Amino acid sequence: MQKIKIIEDDLSIASELKEMLENAGYIVDITEDFSTVLEQLKKQKPSLILLDINLPKINGEILLQQIRKEMNTPIIMVTSKNSEVDEVLSMSYGADDYITKPYNPTILLLRIGAVLKRSNRTDKPQFYRDLEVIPQKGILKTEKIEIVLTKNEMIIFLHLLQNINKIVTRDELMTDLWNNSEYINDNALTVNISRLRSKLKVIGYQDVIETRKGQGYILYE
Amino acid sequence: MNKKEYLKDKSWLLAIKIVAYIIILLILLAFKVNKEATLAISLVYIVGMMIELAIDYYRKKTFYNNFKEKLEKLDQKYLITELLDDPSFVEGKILTNSLYEINKSMIEKINEYKIKTQDFKEYVELWIHEVKLPVSSLTLMLHNRKSEENKKLQEQLARLDNYLEQILYYVRSENAEKDYLITSINLAKVISNVALKNKDILLEKKINLMVSDVNIDVLTDSKWLEFIINQIIDNSIKYSKEKNAYIKIVAKEEDDRVDLAIYDNGIGIKKEDLPRVFEKTYTGTNGRSSKNSTGMGLYIVKKLCERLNHKISIKSVEKEFTCVKISFIKNNYYQIVKERGEG
Repeated sequence: MQKIKIIEDDLSIASELKEMLENAGYIVDITEDFSTVLEQLKKQKPSLILLDINLPKINGEILLQQIRKEMNTPIIMVTSKNSEVDEVLSMSYGADDYITKPYNPTILLLRIGAVLKRSNRTDKPQFYRDLEVIPQKGILKTEKIEIVLTKNEMIIFLHLLQNINKIVTRDELMTDLWNNSEYINDNALTVNISRLRSKLKVIGYQDVIETRKGQGYILYE
Repeated sequence: MNKKEYLKDKSWLLAIKIVAYIIILLILLAFKVNKEATLAISLVYIVGMMIELAIDYYRKKTFYNNFKEKLEKLDQKYLITELLDDPSFVEGKILTNSLYEINKSMIEKINEYKIKTQDFKEYVELWIHEVKLPVSSLTLMLHNRKSEENKKLQEQLARLDNYLEQILYYVRSENAEKDYLITSINLAKVISNVALKNKDILLEKKINLMVSDVNIDVLTDSKWLEFIINQIIDNSIKYSKEKNAYIKIVAKEEDDRVDLAIYDNGIGIKKEDLPRVFEKTYTGTNGRSSKNSTGMGLYIVKKLCERLNHKISIKSVEKEFTCVKISFIKNNYYQIVKERGEG
């Protein structure tokens, strides 16, 4: 389980954020005392930090520099300061991403996922049952057979795989696709999913993606 | 100032001097002073008077002509006090001193307003950032408590956020201080951000978004550009057709610039409205009929483009299409540095 530390002084945002991240399967810790943040971080060793800029007692950009001197935990700046100067400064101080409030929660989850993936990048191959997933080539491979997925199908499959056994809404899939500059519409999404299904069927994985009416899709382990 | 003007101005003085001379002559006659002496006194009097006038004329002429000439050439007239030579006569001194005083008090007054405007701007920015907190909070709450009403509520929140952005960039565009940062930005990334922001409404209204060839770097402020493109897309969505609506975004690299075209097959703009769409609070026929147009969006867009040195133009045929084009100038110096770096 990945641990996320939220450094945010708006209580309402912090607790909603916590709920959202917990629903997405992360362990979350909210900061209450802002004067001892560094000590807390050293003790807790989170996998990722969400950091606001306007904080009581300390400026988030300064805190960012202090954290960077001590550790290289991935940090995403989450702030309502939306000027280019702030973003460029934060990135130069070593932030991994910069997101402005108000943000789309699904996008925040995608960005968190992406940053975490980048930080614990391993060359360990990804598997679904005995299918090897090679996203760079767009290939699903068993020992005997190999199938090629289109970019869209691969994005959908990876998203389902990352949330295996959980319901994934159409909106989440759509957000992930649009986040990858694939601006498709509802019909195209339906078509892509049914193509993905028939490709999986060909190699013997029938009915692994289930439709939950009005909710979304599940990929079963 | 010429001699005629000067003499006209001094006509009272001259008249008095002539009257005085006549009286002197009469007195000399009454005392039966001899002719030679009368002539000598007249000569001294007249020559003295002429010299006096000539010196006075010369001094004033030099000062005032110089003054007028400099004033005419100056672009910022109030800077005249910095250029004046010290006049050698008392009226000139009064004039220059007064000008200094007037200027000083004017500058103080302007500074007072500058500070007030700056304070106001800072407060508005702060306020917007404060308001964004409850908006974020609401967005998260909606995400965490899924309900039937969700989409509708999200749409209203998106509207609220859009209006907040408008006021923020209005304040930024009106501000004389430079608060943007030009860096090399990939167009695809900015467009992706805008697309994601408008995803729900585009899907709901079944507007197809087609983006091609945008993987190009341009020199701009990414946040400002994001706002600019968002306003244009927002208009495309607002004034889209019911059926088969689409928005096409294409970029094209030329020798000296990059052109970004945002094309929609919406209801278009009336020919008579077209030249005025970038004017402040101009809503046009479309805006007036849809009622929720402030007429500020494109005005702010134009202002921001001017500040960033991008050219923006609009083409449209009513009931057919609207196409907004933004041109990013390539910086030659930047290009040279880049080529050297690569070579």
